[in-house]
Amino acid sequence: MALLEVRDLVVRFRTHDGTIYAVNGITFNLEAGETLGLVGESGCGKSVTNLAIMRLLPKPAGRIERGSVTLDGVNLVALPEADVREMRGRDVAMIFQDPMTSLNPVLTIEEQMVETIVAHRAASRAEARKRAVELLGMVGIPHPETRLRSYPHQFSGGMRQRVMIAMALALEPKLLIADEPTTALDVTIQAQVLELLQDLTARLGTAVLLITHDLGVVAGMAERINVMYAGFIVETAPTPELFARPSHPYTVGLLHSIPRVDADEGGELVPIEGVPPDQRRAPVGCPFAPRCAWRVEACWTDNPPLVPLEPVSTVVATGPGATHQIACHNPPLPEEARTGRPTRPGFVAAPPPDAVFDELAVAAPDLEGTLVEFPTNDAREGRR
Amino acid sequence: MTATATPARRTAPARASRGLWRDALARLTRNGPALLGMFFIVVFVLAAVLAPVISPYDPIAGSLANRLQAPGTAGHVLGTDLQGRDELTRILYGARISLQVGVISVIMGLAIGGTLGAIAGAFGGAVDNVLMRMVDVLLAIPGILLAIGIVAWLDRGLPQIMLAVGMTNAPIFARILRGSLLALREADFVVAARSIGATPLRLLLRHMLPNALTSLIVAATLALATAIIDVAGLGFLGLGPPDPRTAEWGTMLTDSTKYLREAPYLIFFPGIAIVISAIGFNLLGDGLRESLDPRLRR
Ligand SMILES: Nc1ncnc2c1ncn2[C@@H]1O[C@H](COP(=O)(O)OP(=O)(O)OP(=O)(O)O)[C@@H](O)[C@H]1O
Ligand code: SF4
Ligand SMILES: [Mg+2]
Repeated sequence: MALLEVRDLVVRFRTHDGTIYAVNGITFNLEAGETLGLVGESGCGKSVTNLAIMRLLPKPAGRIERGSVTLDGVNLVALPEADVREMRGRDVAMIFQDPMTSLNPVLTIEEQMVETIVAHRAASRAEARKRAVELLGMVGIPHPETRLRSYPHQFSGGMRQRVMIAMALALEPKLLIADEPTTALDVTIQAQVLELLQDLTARLGTAVLLITHDLGVVAGMAERINVMYAGFIVETAPTPELFARPSHPYTVGLLHSIPRVDADEGGELVPIEGVPPDQRRAPVGCPFAPRCAWRVEACWTDNPPLVPLEPVSTVVATGPGATHQIACHNPPLPEEARTGRPTRPGFVAAPPPDAVFDELAVAAPDLEGTLVEFPTNDAREGRR
Repeated sequence: MTATATPARRTAPARASRGLWRDALARLTRNGPALLGMFFIVVFVLAAVLAPVISPYDPIAGSLANRLQAPGTAGHVLGTDLQGRDELTRILYGARISLQVGVISVIMGLAIGGTLGAIAGAFGGAVDNVLMRMVDVLLAIPGILLAIGIVAWLDRGLPQIMLAVGMTNAPIFARILRGSLLALREADFVVAARSIGATPLRLLLRHMLPNALTSLIVAATLALATAIIDVAGLGFLGLGPPDPRTAEWGTMLTDSTKYLREAPYLIFFPGIAIVISAIGFNLLGDGLRESLDPRLRR
């Protein structure tokens, strides 16, 4: 049994302007000590997945509507709040994106760290304090004895993130969720913090769910990657495999929208046109269809399930030998993945299945000559 | 690994911990208007506390032979009033009433409003809805009208005035505290504290309330200004202290309106006293708002 098992997780928000379909049935496992990356562009449901696992969804709007999250054999979705609280910090902890706002401004670092340790362990304050000093030293804060008495505003962003890491690891949880842990930091600091994170979690044997929109970050940190789009996992594979054989049009798009050093690999910059779908509507068909250059007719109506890229006898869910899976009706060929666009002779992306097509046909001359010919979301909006 | 390394180098305490409140105080002392406000308040408080020391006169009994002496008369810097009482003495003793009623009414308001706001903000949901609708009703009634109603209902008297003025502030405090608490519920550091297992009570007491306190301190300071004006307003409307001879600024204004022509200074001095003390608390309140901002931009 894996440390973390997420099964068919569905999270929705009920807001004043309707339901938001944030996470639409995702399934993945995480082994003890493993580092799994969760990537995707803004709004695809990464943080919501994280909050659902921690049972920290904003109440009453956010709800787990379906599925299970099992940590160490315990289904967190059904657990009473008091038990969830026990588990937070002890079994699973998290690091937030913005170190400037994730520490309490009116308490010293000491108060915040000691509080955490004392709350969970039957440790005396003196012991907890000793442990806090030790932890601060461990995350590379100079003069931990003195700095313990500082307030958060007396630390720089990078130092604060180190403090956050120290607090998150204080009770040696089995799972650490890092939600964009370096996005708010300077580039030079980013690398240091990532290295520290990697170092400590490897030493403590902590499993890490690393959430980021930055493929560069996961490439260096994660052993495995889940690519998310509009609340779905659209591709999952061990990191080397994913970079060697990106097989979902969205992953291909992601890889082609960042400048690569090894540019002669055939990697030309091809931005992904359009915007992610409006998550206020129940998903129909493949969520990527409006932006996809490979789409076929079925894409508009059938949402493809996540299945192995190649036929296998048993699907391996975790570890370096995990099965490469994608959710796509018409995966790009390796050659197309390299160039970033369909190259099959005569292939044209299937037009939307309704009247909008006519309007688009009129508008088509404008699109001529551009590399990717498909309607953007704006064009689809016209239907309403 | 760390305990052994630190004692050797004690030289670099980086930025020494000055503490959050002391940092705020440092910012406050660089704020000109706030300093002026504090000066006014100090004058006001000293006047109230030292009234019997400063003045040899009785604020209540005067001699009619001495009435309506102009300001500057020997022994009466600010002149005397209709009953021949020393005006300065009455201003000083008036400060006592204003300070006393102001402070106690704000404390009452904080106790009532703070409790309501804390309950609403901590529980949210239906509790919040019910409490806040009540607060809305109270807020819809103009403060002075509410105070008049309460004094008219409970009869005149200092405790009644304190309660009346306190009740006008209570809904404001309730609203502010609730707003801060609700916003803080979703604040990163509160979610972060929850994510490492903090209990709801600990979240409220250690993380949310202390952070909500700053906005409440600002509101309370500003409320002192309104309280002073409200007290004077009640006095002016004849709803002041039950003994009509009491030195109270609003009452003093009313008493002198008929003699505006002969003795304009009898309007002027209490008026100035009200304005200066109210402005003092307003300036300080605004200064505090700026320097106490918990999301300090360093
Ligand atoms: N509190 C909330 N109320 C309503 N909708 C929400 C709330 N939080 C998130 N959502 C919605 O859920 C969807 C997923 O959001 P989420 O925060 O998980 O995105 P993300 O992948 O973490 O993006 P980012 O990279 O910007 O952090 C979005 O459509 C967002 O608008
Ligand atoms: S080919 Fe179809 S199923 Fe595959 S990503 Fe494109 S639209 Fe989705
Ligand atoms: Mg996010």
